Parts: sequence; C-alpha cells; structure tokens
Amino acid sequence: MNIATYARRNLFRRKGRTILTMVAIALAVLIFSIIRTVIYEWNRGAEEAAQDRLAIRHKVSITMELPYKYIDEVRATPGVTKATWANWFGAKDPKERIPFFAGFAADQNSFFDVMDEMSVDPKVLEEWRNTPNGAILGDLIAKTFEVKPGDDVTIASDIYPGDWKFKVVGIYKPLRKTVDRNSFIFRWDYLNNSDAVPPPMKDKIGWILARIDDAAHSAQIAKSIDAKFEDHDDQTSAMSERAFQLSFMGGFTAILTAFDYASVGILLILMLVLANAIAMSVRERTHEYGVLRAIGFPPAHIVGFIVGESVLIAVIGGLIGVAMTAGLINGVMGPFLEENMSGWFPYFSTPPYVMGLAMVAAIGVGIFAGALPAYRASKLKVTDALRRLD
Amino acid sequence: MAGNGETIVKLAGINKTFYRGKEPIPVLDSLDLDVPSGSFEALMGPSGSGKSTLLNIIAGLDRPSRGSVSVAGSQLDKMSDGELAKWRSQTIGFVFQSFNLIPVLTAAQNVELPLLLTGLSGAERKKRVATALRIVGLEDRMDHYPRQMSGGQEQRVAIARAIVNDPKIIVADEPTGDLDRKSADDVLTLMTKLNKELGKTIFMVTHDPHAAEVATVQRKLDKGALL
Repeated sequence: MNIATYARRNLFRRKGRTILTMVAIALAVLIFSIIRTVIYEWNRGAEEAAQDRLAIRHKVSITMELPYKYIDEVRATPGVTKATWANWFGAKDPKERIPFFAGFAADQNSFFDVMDEMSVDPKVLEEWRNTPNGAILGDLIAKTFEVKPGDDVTIASDIYPGDWKFKVVGIYKPLRKTVDRNSFIFRWDYLNNSDAVPPPMKDKIGWILARIDDAAHSAQIAKSIDAKFEDHDDQTSAMSERAFQLSFMGGFTAILTAFDYASVGILLILMLVLANAIAMSVRERTHEYGVLRAIGFPPAHIVGFIVGESVLIAVIGGLIGVAMTAGLINGVMGPFLEENMSGWFPYFSTPPYVMGLAMVAAIGVGIFAGALPAYRASKLKVTDALRRLD
Repeated sequence: MAGNGETIVKLAGINKTFYRGKEPIPVLDSLDLDVPSGSFEALMGPSGSGKSTLLNIIAGLDRPSRGSVSVAGSQLDKMSDGELAKWRSQTIGFVFQSFNLIPVLTAAQNVELPLLLTGLSGAERKKRVATALRIVGLEDRMDHYPRQMSGGQEQRVAIARAIVNDPKIIVADEPTGDLDRKSADDVLTLMTKLNKELGKTIFMVTHDPHAAEVATVQRKLDKGALL
C-alpha cells in the first residue's frame, strides 16, 4: 500500500455518484470536442487555402458581380501567372435529395488549371470543352444524384429561373481533404448565353481567382490589381484566398463566437458538477480526515488525497469522453457530415490537438474542482474535524 | 515491564477557554498534571468537565490558552502545527471511541497508515503491521475490511494502528464506549497488556467505572479542575 491507495480506494466509495460524475464529465468532454471540432473544421478550409492564389471580388460585396472584361486586366497584372473566374449559381436539387450544394459556372479553359487541388483527367477536360452543357461533379454529389459520366442531370437555381439540364462529363478528384466533394461545376458560357439570364446580368462574373508567381508578394499584387480598377464604376477588392474564404464565412462569425463561448461554458458546468461531487465526499469524510490528521498526516497530504481523487475522476471521465469522441465523431458523425453536408464540412474529424485540449481541460477542471474543498478540509482544526459526525 | 517513574506528561498552569461568539467559555482552569512514564491512568468526570479537551492537549491536537505542556520531552506549546503533526506521528498512539478505521482499507492497511509517514520500506512496514496485529490477536484478519469485523475486533485493529509506530504514549478517548461488556473487557485486557508488558504509558478518558478500575491511577475532573 502507498499513499495513493487511499485516494484510489475512495474513488468508488459512492459508486453511483462517482459513475454519474464520470459520465457527466465524459459527455461534457464529448460536447466540448464536438464544438471545438466544428470551429476547427469550419476554419480549416481557410487555413489550408493556397498561399499563392488571390481572390478578387466586387469591393462592395461578394453578391455583386464584376464585368467579364476584368479578367484580362487581372491576367495582365505583373506577378499574376494565370487567372480564372466563376459565378455563383445558387444551385438546388429539384428533388431535394440534398439540402445544399455548391453549384457554379466556371471557365472551361482555365478553372481547373488555377484550382489544381481538384484533379480532372485531360480527356474529361477535353470533352467538357466540347460539350456546352457539360458539367463536372464531385463524387459525393454524383452519388446523391445517382449519375455517372454520360448521364443527364437537371438542377434548379435560386437565382436563374427554370430547369437547367446538364450532361455529366466527368468527376473531379479532390487532392486535399478540405476540397468540397459536393460541388457541381458547369460552363460559364452556357449560363451567359442562356435566355434565362437577362441582359443586365450577362457578361458578368462573380469572382476571379489568380495564381501569382510569389506568395510573398501577394499583398503588393493585390494592391496593384485594386489600383487598376480604382477609377472604374465597379471597384475590386483583391485579397488572399484565405481572407476571401474568411470573408465568405463572415456571416457565421457570430455563430462561431457563440460556439467558442459555449465550449468555455461547458467547462464551467463540468467544474461545478465535479466540485459538487467532491464537496459532498469531503463533507462526508471530514471526520476521517480528522483521524488522519490526528495520527500525523500533515494538511498537504489531505489536499493531495482530495485533489488527487478529483483529478482521477476527471481523468477517467475525460478518457471515456475522448474515446467517445473518437468513436462517435470520427467514426459516425464525421463520415455522415462529409457525405451529407460536404459544402460546409468537406472533412470532419476531431484532430488530436482537440482531444489533447479536452484532456488538459478535464485535468485542469479536476484540480480546480478539488482545490477549494481540499483547502477547506486542510484548514479545519483536527479537534473540529474529529467532532464532526462523531 | 513497569513504569520507571520519570514524568512523561507535565502540564503546568493550563487554562483553556473556548468562545461562543464573544462569550468566553472556560473549560480548564489553572490545571497542573504530572503523569509518570509507564503508568495507566484513567480520567473520569461528567460530560462537559473538560476531559476530552485535556486529552487533546496532551495528545498535541489542541493548544492551551495559557500554560505549558511538556510531553515525552517535547514542549508542545512552542511547536508549529507541522511540527506537532510530525511529533504526533512518532510519539502518540490514538484509540477513539468509535474506532475510526478507514472503511475502504483492510485491517492491515489501516494499521499500516501511520507507517506511511515514516521512511520504512514496504517489507519493514509489512513486518511491523503483522507484529501489531499479532499483539492484538487479529493476525488472521489482516485482509478483512472493517465492515467484516465485530466492534470489538475493530477496536483491536484500532489499537494495533495505535501501537504500530511504537509510540511512547497511547491516548484513548472512551475506548469501550461503543462496545458490549465482553468486547470492552477484551479491549481493557489488551490495554493492560500493552501497559504492563510493553511499558506503554496509557492515558484514558472514560465514563465507565469498570474501565477506570483497570487503570493504575484514577483521576477525576470537574469544572475544569482535577479533584
């Protein structure tokens, strides 16, 4: 036997209470991990954005379009090696098999050249260039629509009226985990030439993506692009792809901040649950601590017994929570979200750092939850402690 | 073994006053006490007479409001709390009325508790625990938990815990108070054996006249003064 034996044995003196406390901690760790994973994955696309790519949008808002002719001026900017463009289509599935997916019209000659994390077979690209209503899909959206290359598919739009019929010419292959596998990409000229697009909306592009020769000069190149259009009616806002993605997600910042606060709130609740359980145990054992003090155990040992027990409960609960996280998020929830909500979460998995953070938080909570009852128990006079419940 | 006549407990001019709010409640009043080494003393007195307070002062659990306390050569009133804790672990063995064993530990582990504060090896601790339990006649109950034993057996384990560190003094607060007559007699016989054969000084507080008769010296305390 050693001094830790006593702390360990105390752990299951009140089995029901200890197990319920551990379950509460495990669930709190799971919820904490889910929230932190959502925040992490939401920002991951931006964090992993290409460093040598700029995004150029209308200065006023991403919802306003730029004149088509701007692409040539961007391409002519020193430092820009290649550029492409795309328009948001507001795509939706007429059969509502999927609540949201990214559909956009893109340039068949340059889009996949600039967006090289989406790999497309050269033969498929060639076919796309020869098929005005050709579309290249992500594998997940193709699976949802139950289509394969050569099949026809019809989608609708929130922006452009009518049914839009396309021929699937191929499937792009994502080369990074953060690439959305639910995108539906078709030719910009097919949209632009359509009668469904009214004249004022013709020859307009949603945003431009430009490759640059040196990522270190991105700010300077972005500045010179904006300078080109300074005296035009439609001014631009050029930025790194990371900044572009963050601005695109800007509307969700408040939600993410709320999530952030919620994760801290979870920790506080966790601490109160554990502190309450520890305080109850200490109250029940005050007399016992008096006996230990009487036979010579110094106050520091009493603190050690109480904090040790609190940390032990927190660690066991935390480990159960982390195991649940690995099983539930990485095994069930992640694959489900990747398949059904790939537009928001192309990849959803709790990174090891979040699990580590959850464990560190659990240990920290264990220390804090045990600290006050331990301090009070250690300060109690031995004679007062012996008198309790005696 | 008998006492050698040296004074092991010497209290001089002890006063102890508790406070209820601002109201002082005097418990011990100018009390002097000499306890010879090797004696077995019983302290009796009505409830509220200050018996337990006196015992706590001798055992280094409480401090007098005034006066000097010398026990086993140490001046307790001049020691810090930390020094007192260490002193208690080396000098005093405690026997309580309600046994006060730790329910989640076995008999052997309960007895081993005070030894955890020493630098003894595991093997040496085990040896001492076995000796202490043999002295109290419970060597066959080492792995039993308190709930698996009778009250008398629990108190004998508590006595084994009190002697395992080979203390100079054993203080006992109503050691037979929670026991039936037969178990109480067994415990008193054991305490007599500790006093006579091992030379332990025993200072016992009791309400039980039968228990007090076993002691070699009987003292009476009333209203904070020894009669």
